[in-house]
This record gives sequence, C-alpha cells and structure tokens, in this order.
Amino acid sequence: MERQEILKQVNEVFMDVLDNEDIVLSDTTTADDVEEWDSLTHVQLIVEVEKHFKIKFTSQEILTWKNVGEMITSIENKIK
Amino acid sequence: MVLNSISFLIFFVIVFIIYHCFYKEYKIQNIILLLSSYFFYAYADVKMLPIIIGMTILFYFLGLKIGDYKQKNESKKAYWLTTLTVVLGLLPLLYFKYFNFFISSFEDLFSLMGLNTNHNTFKIILPLGISFFTFRLVSYAVEINRNKLSPTKDIISFAIYVAFFPCLLSGPIDKPNKFLPQIENKRNIKYEDLFEGLKRILWGWFMKVCVADRLGIYIDSIFTNYTMHTSASILLASVLYPMQMYFDFAGYSHMAIGLGKLLGITVTENFNRPFFAQNVAEYWRRWHISLTTWLTDYVFIPLNLRFRNLGNLGIILAIIINFIVVGFWHGDNWTFGVFGLYHGLLFIPLILNGKMNKKNKVKLVKGYFIPLKPMFKMILTYLIVTFGLMIFRSPSVVTVIDIFKQIFSNHSTSLYYDEFITYALIFMFISLFKDYKDEYKLNIHFLHSENKIIEHISVILLILVTVLFGVFESNSFIYFQF
Repeated sequence: MERQEILKQVNEVFMDVLDNEDIVLSDTTTADDVEEWDSLTHVQLIVEVEKHFKIKFTSQEILTWKNVGEMITSIENKIK
Repeated sequence: MVLNSISFLIFFVIVFIIYHCFYKEYKIQNIILLLSSYFFYAYADVKMLPIIIGMTILFYFLGLKIGDYKQKNESKKAYWLTTLTVVLGLLPLLYFKYFNFFISSFEDLFSLMGLNTNHNTFKIILPLGISFFTFRLVSYAVEINRNKLSPTKDIISFAIYVAFFPCLLSGPIDKPNKFLPQIENKRNIKYEDLFEGLKRILWGWFMKVCVADRLGIYIDSIFTNYTMHTSASILLASVLYPMQMYFDFAGYSHMAIGLGKLLGITVTENFNRPFFAQNVAEYWRRWHISLTTWLTDYVFIPLNLRFRNLGNLGIILAIIINFIVVGFWHGDNWTFGVFGLYHGLLFIPLILNGKMNKKNKVKLVKGYFIPLKPMFKMILTYLIVTFGLMIFRSPSVVTVIDIFKQIFSNHSTSLYYDEFITYALIFMFISLFKDYKDEYKLNIHFLHSENKIIEHISVILLILVTVLFGVFESNSFIYFQF
C-alpha cells in the first residue's frame, strides 16, 4: 500500500473516532493540532488503527512517535 | 530557607544582582545559578547535598549513553538502560520515603497472621525536595528514550535543570524539553518580564501569608482538638481546608514562577483555578498540573496502552493505579493510598459516560454570573474534593472515622470563632474574585491593566495589605514535607 493511501485511511479512522469530519492529517500533525486528540482518545485511535490495518504496535513504538508521519512509517513497515 | 523568609529575600537579592551583572555571559550566569541552587539546598540540609549531586552526575552520563544507543538505532538497549536508570533513580526515593512504611506494613501483616517479628524501624531523614527532583531526573531519561529529547552535553545546564532553586523543594516539576533549551541559550529579559515576575511573587506571597496561613491557624486549632469542637466548627474547618491547601501551594507556585521570570526562565504553570472545575477529572487538570502531567505521561498512558484491548475496563484500571501512585507520592501513610483510591474511583462514572476529558465551557449570564447548573457542579466537585482532603489531612484512617463520628454525634450550630477567620475569609474572597476575573476574562483592572498607573497602584496596595495583615510566624509551606 502506498504511503499516501495509508495516510488517507488513517485520516478516515481519525475522523470516525474523533467524530470530526474536518480533520486533515499530514506527516507533521501532532496531538496539539487536533482539539479532540487527548490522552484518552490517543489510545482509542491506536486501537482502531490496529484493527483497521490488522497489525499490532508495541508500547515502546507508540511512545516514541513524534507525529502522524512516524505512525504512518510504523504502519508501512508492518504491512510490507 | 523558605521562599517567604527574610533570609531568602537577602539570598535572592544578592543572586539577582550578581546574575544580572553578567547579562552578556549566559554561561557565567549558569554557574551562578548552579552555585546558588546548591547553596540554597545546603542551607536547608548540607548532609543531603551529595545525594542530589551524585544523582545528577549519574543521570547525566546514563542520559548520554541512552542517547548514544538511540542514535545507533539500538532501541532495545536504550529501552533496558532507561528501565535500569529509572529504577536507580527511584531507589533513593523508595528508601528515604517508604522503607519504614514497608517494614511496618509487613510487620502488621505478619502479626495479623499470628507471627511476631522483631524488626525495628529506624529514623530516616527525608532529603528535602527528593520527590520533586527524582521526578525531574526520571523525566529526563524517559524523554531521551522516547525520542523527544537529545541528551545535553553540558553538565552545568543539566545540574541546573535538576536543582533550580525556586523549584527545588516543591516544584513545579518542569519537563526537560522546555527547561533545558532556556538554560542552554542566552536569556533575553525585558522590563515587562521583571515586572510580571515581581507581580507573581507578590500575589503568591499574599496568598500564602494573608490567606493560607490565616486559614491554617483556624483549621489547625479545630483539627488538633476535634473532640472538643462542635459539628458546625469541624464542618467549617473541613470546607476551608481545600482553600488553605490551594492558597498555600498555588501561592508557593506563583512565587517559584515569578522568581523564574526574574531570572529569565519560564517555569511551567502548576495551577489553573481548580475550584472552577465541574467534575473531578477537570479538577485534576487544574490542580498540581506539573505532577498530574508527569503521571499522565509516565504512568497513565503506558498503562492505558498496555490495557488498551480491555476498553473502558483498561482505562479504569490505569486511572486507579495512577491515582494510587498520586496518593502515595505524598507520603508513606495509608491515608494517602486511600485518598488516591478515592479519586481513582471517582473517575469511573466519568469514564463510562465519556466525560473524562470533556472540556466544560461556561457562558456567563449577563456577562458576569455563572449559570445555576455549572455552579451546582462546581460546588459538588468542591465538596467531593473536601472529603478527599479530609482523608489526606488525617494522620490515620481511624482518625477520619473519629472525625466523622464527632460531626454526627456533636450536633450543634454554635461555631468556634477566632478573629483570624474574619480577615482570612475577606482575603480568601478577594483572591477567589481575582481567580473569577481571570477565569472568565472579565474586564476588571487589578494587577494586570493597560493603564500602568492602575497596575502600579494595585501592586503598592498589595504590598501594604500583605505587610499589614500577613501572618509571619508560621512560614513553612505544606508541600515542603512531600
């Protein structure tokens, strides 16, 4: 799957979980840029992304992400 | 040397003058900051100085090694070294703060099982500020491992981050990501920053000596002899206790932040008008923010991630463990554990109805008044917090039960009156009104105004009121004991 396609699908998961159709993610987006993205919804987002792509992240992996781009890279590496 | 003492004032004025003489040389300013921080700590307890210096050196080198592993993409090694570093960092805290607690708790457990043990506990002196600087150290190692920070190569800057004197004894607990870059670069201090810093110090000082310490005299006199007092007096003291805690600790935090500003360093905020919270979750987002942020990042989120497939149950488990840690962080007493558990349990309905992280916005009626519904929620939250703090304040769980027995057995509306309480209440309402004005951004000129004359007059008034009505006998801050 192309990186751009992964980003598009992750964006849909975000819109769905955070109940906000206006979210537009990019590689540099962080939790500070999206109002509804907090410590609780963060975990919900990860659960839904894992379900969507049928993958599993490690806690260590998740905690080292700095932005959406790094999450996309993790997904990319897992579904290769 | 507490922040509201004459000796601190002399110490700070000397440091401030020497520090600003070298405004062109931030590296010399850093040496001044470090030496003054160590002097400040040694003045409190010189025997404990080697502990903080030793831990600083240890974490400095371990931080470099973790960073080295990260750079080489050896994530597993970085993870295990971080784990080891965190354990090493927590060992002194566990020893000094909880050793006797573990021994006596095990003895109690054995005696319940009918076994007698003869291990005597011994007096361990708690190094001042250890709960605060340990959390700074742990934060440094974990942030490097999480790729959020590069280890600093400058040991002086790192040592200042650990021991920065305005925050050394009671926080706020700064994250290294925001603090270190300020130390590693030249400070650009303007007159406005100095004036703002001075106003924060004055306001904190007023909160401490005019409100907290005055309330404290009344509250202490009731609780130390609660068997002699009526239910009305105990209830009044209980309801006022959260106010005393707030004005004491937020007052201290204002002073620490203001001192930072005078030195050109922005210290993280610690309070955001907690009594305007409409539920317990919101209260904790506004109370002792630097501690709750630390615990959210390093306890709650990792646990929540680990339990993520359990849904709400996972969040509940993570939050309860998180709050038990919050409780015991305050000390080695079961009352702190019960206090933490109580708050953790209060989150359950908020998690189940999805309101835990919801922001509660208030639209004022006629631009000035809080509507009834949010007002009711604020009062309810305040009472819930009051009950928790009664557990927190008591020396034992049995005492809490005794206090409640006294409330329900000694029915009387007669109130123990102390002249201290009148002034305390007047100043308390003035302070709460300032919080109200700041919370809802009301256009009332006090301390902050576009009109410089009003601003300066309110500062002079504040100094006068504080000097005339402050309590200067009791000068320790409640949070120094933690």
